Amino acid sequence: MTSRGTPSRFLKSVLQNGVGRYVCQLKRLSLVFSKDSANSLGVREFIEDGVVDFARQNPGIVVYVAPEKCSIPKIVAEYLNGTVKEEPVNRKTSEEIRQLIKKLSDQSGLEVIRIRKPFHTDSPSIQGQWHPFVNRSPSLRVQRFVKEKSELESS
Amino acid sequence: MTASVVRGCGQLLRCPSVFCKGYLRPGFLNYAALCHQSSQPSKLPVGYVPETSLSKPPWPEVKLPDPEEEKKQNIDVVHKVNDLIATGQYGRLFAVVHFASRQWKVTNEDLILIENHIDAECGERICLEKVLLVGSENFSLIGRPLLGKDLVRVEATVIEKTECSPKVHMVFWKRHRFQKKKFIVQPQTVLRINSIEVLPNLS
Repeated sequence: MTSRGTPSRFLKSVLQNGVGRYVCQLKRLSLVFSKDSANSLGVREFIEDGVVDFARQNPGIVVYVAPEKCSIPKIVAEYLNGTVKEEPVNRKTSEEIRQLIKKLSDQSGLEVIRIRKPFHTDSPSIQGQWHPFVNRSPSLRVQRFVKEKSELESS
Repeated sequence: MTASVVRGCGQLLRCPSVFCKGYLRPGFLNYAALCHQSSQPSKLPVGYVPETSLSKPPWPEVKLPDPEEEKKQNIDVVHKVNDLIATGQYGRLFAVVHFASRQWKVTNEDLILIENHIDAECGERICLEKVLLVGSENFSLIGRPLLGKDLVRVEATVIEKTECSPKVHMVFWKRHRFQKKKFIVQPQTVLRINSIEVLPNLS
């Protein structure tokens, strides 16, 4: 069906990211899980296997591990632009959680909604905006409203 | 003389000339000649085509320049462009690159969104090698179809790898109790164009 009614935005980046150097936009990652519920089994496995490696590989991301009494474990991601994203991870395996965290760290924290155009430019035209007289003889742009003498004599 | 008059008579009466030839009478001939003179004031030559947009283009005739002179001018233009590139007297460059089966017109600090996963991590620099055109304010270099890798270099950084908002794919047959609903989420990649460089070995 059509998607015209859905919320939309234009393509943008946070603070011109990538012009000088790239800055990972994820700043804080909390793994909230229960110590003994079966729902958090995958999170516990991930904490045993991969969380230290992940934290070492990404020194720009602060990782919190928060054991709490909860039935639904979740991952809370905070971005540099202030966005907070919560992802429930109940009954997910360690590998799925790894992929989810990879996705969260690759995102920029901007809203995930329909993007109107697949490009954005600050300088839309370099050789000048096209108009119908581009590459035409300049005489075409002149419109004479008064007849010249020779024309008057002939008519 | 008679033949021409007979031809005129054939035109006038809209009958085949053979028919006219068989039934020639002096009085009839004179009458036909008179009629012919009164209805058609001037005789048109054989094979005459009136001047319309079909027989002749409506614009004034284009005079092409001398091929040798044109060659000289082309060499001058190439020299000028070479000088501009060698001295770096061009401002912002733009390029048309072919990437992800689309053609993108890009300049420095542009963002482009690719509706697919690409095989590079966030923050990695990639080089877009299919360059179709490079232009500055005063010149454009057009590839046939591509410009060489040693001539142009377009670099981009992967700044975001995300997913598109879920698109709903709905199939519904009326009066058949049949419907299917599918949410489609595709990976997306955002690229930042970092630099477009032209190197001065244009011949």
